[in-house]
Amino acid sequence: MATPQPTSGDPAAPFEPVGVDFRSVSPRLVTARLVSGAVSVVVPVVVGAVLALVFSPWWWILAGVPAAIFAATAVVVPRQVRALGYAERDDDLLVRKGVLFRSLVVVPYGRMQYVDVEAGPLDRRLGIAKVQLHTAAAATDAVIPGLPPAEAERLRDRLSARGEARLAGL
Amino acid sequence: MSAADPTPHGAPPTGATGADAPAGDLAWQRMHPVTPFVRGWSVILVAIAFIGHQTLDQLEAVGGAAAAVSQVSGLWWKVALAVVLLLALVFGYAALAWRMTAYAVDDDAVHLRKGVLFRQQRHARLDRLQAVDIRQPLLARLGGLAELTLEVAGGSGSGVAIGFLREQDARRLRADLLARAAGVKARRTGTPAPAADAAAVRPDAGPATGAAAPVDGVPAADGVALVDGVPAAGVAGRASAGRPADGGLDEVDEAPEEQVYEVPAGRLVHSLLRSPALWVVALGLVGVVVAVALTRNFGILVSAAPAVLGGGGYLFQRFAGEFGFRAALSPDGIRLRHGLLETRAQTIPPGRVQAVSLTQGPLWRGPDWWRVKVNVAGYATGENTESQNVLLPVGPRAEALTALWLVLPDLGTEDPLRLLDEGLTGTDPHGQFTVAPRRSRWLDPVAWRRNGFAVTDRALLLRSGRVVRRLVLVPHERTQSLAVAQGPWQRRLAVATFTVHSTAGPVAPAVAHLDAGDAGRLLEEQARRARTARATAGPERWMEQRAQVAEANRADGEPAEAAAPGSAPGLPGGGEERG
Repeated sequence: MATPQPTSGDPAAPFEPVGVDFRSVSPRLVTARLVSGAVSVVVPVVVGAVLALVFSPWWWILAGVPAAIFAATAVVVPRQVRALGYAERDDDLLVRKGVLFRSLVVVPYGRMQYVDVEAGPLDRRLGIAKVQLHTAAAATDAVIPGLPPAEAERLRDRLSARGEARLAGL
Repeated sequence: MSAADPTPHGAPPTGATGADAPAGDLAWQRMHPVTPFVRGWSVILVAIAFIGHQTLDQLEAVGGAAAAVSQVSGLWWKVALAVVLLLALVFGYAALAWRMTAYAVDDDAVHLRKGVLFRQQRHARLDRLQAVDIRQPLLARLGGLAELTLEVAGGSGSGVAIGFLREQDARRLRADLLARAAGVKARRTGTPAPAADAAAVRPDAGPATGAAAPVDGVPAADGVALVDGVPAAGVAGRASAGRPADGGLDEVDEAPEEQVYEVPAGRLVHSLLRSPALWVVALGLVGVVVAVALTRNFGILVSAAPAVLGGGGYLFQRFAGEFGFRAALSPDGIRLRHGLLETRAQTIPPGRVQAVSLTQGPLWRGPDWWRVKVNVAGYATGENTESQNVLLPVGPRAEALTALWLVLPDLGTEDPLRLLDEGLTGTDPHGQFTVAPRRSRWLDPVAWRRNGFAVTDRALLLRSGRVVRRLVLVPHERTQSLAVAQGPWQRRLAVATFTVHSTAGPVAPAVAHLDAGDAGRLLEEQARRARTARATAGPERWMEQRAQVAEANRADGEPAEAAAPGSAPGLPGGGEERG
């Protein structure tokens, strides 16, 4: 992804704020996403293949469609993971994501109500964790997946400390 | 009903019928003893109906006329016994639940404990108070009871419902809570105030003080009031003449209030006649009748009934929920009263409104009517609560602007009326609004001229919609988080959608298809503005600052009233001490 200069009329302008360096997340997130995707696909594929071999080749559809979707996902996921980024500024946290549908969320530290750190069994094995910020607005979609646990912990502590320092009512 | 006499709730503890075991120094109070009946009457009715139905079924099962009268009479015995047992069980449980439910108020929080098997104790901090509602369902209203609900911004279900109480007790408690939340601490004297006395003092406290102030302060009809600050002076003058100035508060008076507008029933009905929902329902009915007439198949009637009933129900709820809508302004914030069968009196303290929207459907254009809705943290959205988030159900533009003024008394711009007019109806790309570029017409061919934003010192204005016009305002200090988003088509046209995240509610501030550069700059600037606005925002305890001002003035030898006009305290919007 190129980093063009933010000028008016440049479609990427809102996503490349001046003077902000986004940190990317761990590439292990690709593995995590692909593994969980594969697990959900494996049952229909196996069942479809067995039925196709035993009964009629039409059953290949049942196996083929999920497999094709999975193949497409496998192409997109690495790009999605590369597009994920976050940046800590003095007063707010920026979270950027998306390839086709891009978004950038700005969460002021003073607005944070709490911070969640989550890691499932697969995530733990791969050594990644997910940090989620919550404000009083349910729409705030500030999730940073795929952080190394140490970084997740550091971020959590830092966000809490900054949130406390800047906390304002609602 | 019961031997226990209800305590004068909200009054100092009498010890007579107080709590069983006061934990710490909290004075636990009980609800009114008939609470379970008011809450559970529908359950009881359903239970009785169910048993009745079962009995009939059994009778039928016993069948045949010849099936012996003795059997039937035997059955009646059983049924009567079952009903008595059930009632005893229900009432026993209700009595137990009532005994286990109690509330207490101290200077910082409201405590509520309840539950028989699963004990729950809830503790709501008063400085987090977002709104106080007094709700009176029909049955409670007939019995002079009311339920008080405190919203404390913890998401849905985090509110504290105290009820049912006698109506005047609920009002007393509300005044007490608001005074504490405002930072005007009620002095707790050891002597209990007799309930009768309190009831006598109470009702005329508001109007009496209210009458003292001239009505000229009412912003009423002309939106000019937005600019000149006259109403501000009127209200504020009374505000300081009211509570904070007279120091010691033996009895917490309800803050005086001044009615700002009301919605006549005629206009409400007329507005519903002009709402699309009614036309959908009417057309649906006509369609059903025609279909039935043509096909002679009455089954259609049955299958269409739920949809028609649903539409009719929605219309009735709007009518019943917004009937007799009155808005008033008091130092404790905005007061709203409405309801036909179930009435609700809401108090939204200053600075608690997170976002406001003004909308106008196509059929409301003729009379130039607008509907004003607000987001308040803690007001859950869902069925039955639609009217809770309404600031003005329907009103002419001037009234809508007055409603807006209740929330944002100072828009932070030189010519607010022109700006607002442009926001409400404007389509001009060269005005004070920064609008979406012409190329965005491919994505939004109808309304692209309306998509735009404007920024003042105090708020962000987002306008959109051509068929349904909409203007959303978010005070800078109420911004939660911000976002820009861009889909593939938007990317091709170099436009982006800008969103402000607000607390849960009917208002979702966003503007689509802005120029990508504009959206990026807006994101950046808005983050900065929100930050500075937060730093200077008014205190959570909205009276504290005013009390300090009054103190300072008294020290200077000036009358307390002089504190008011300039800084206009007492105005909602949490904007004290900002010029």
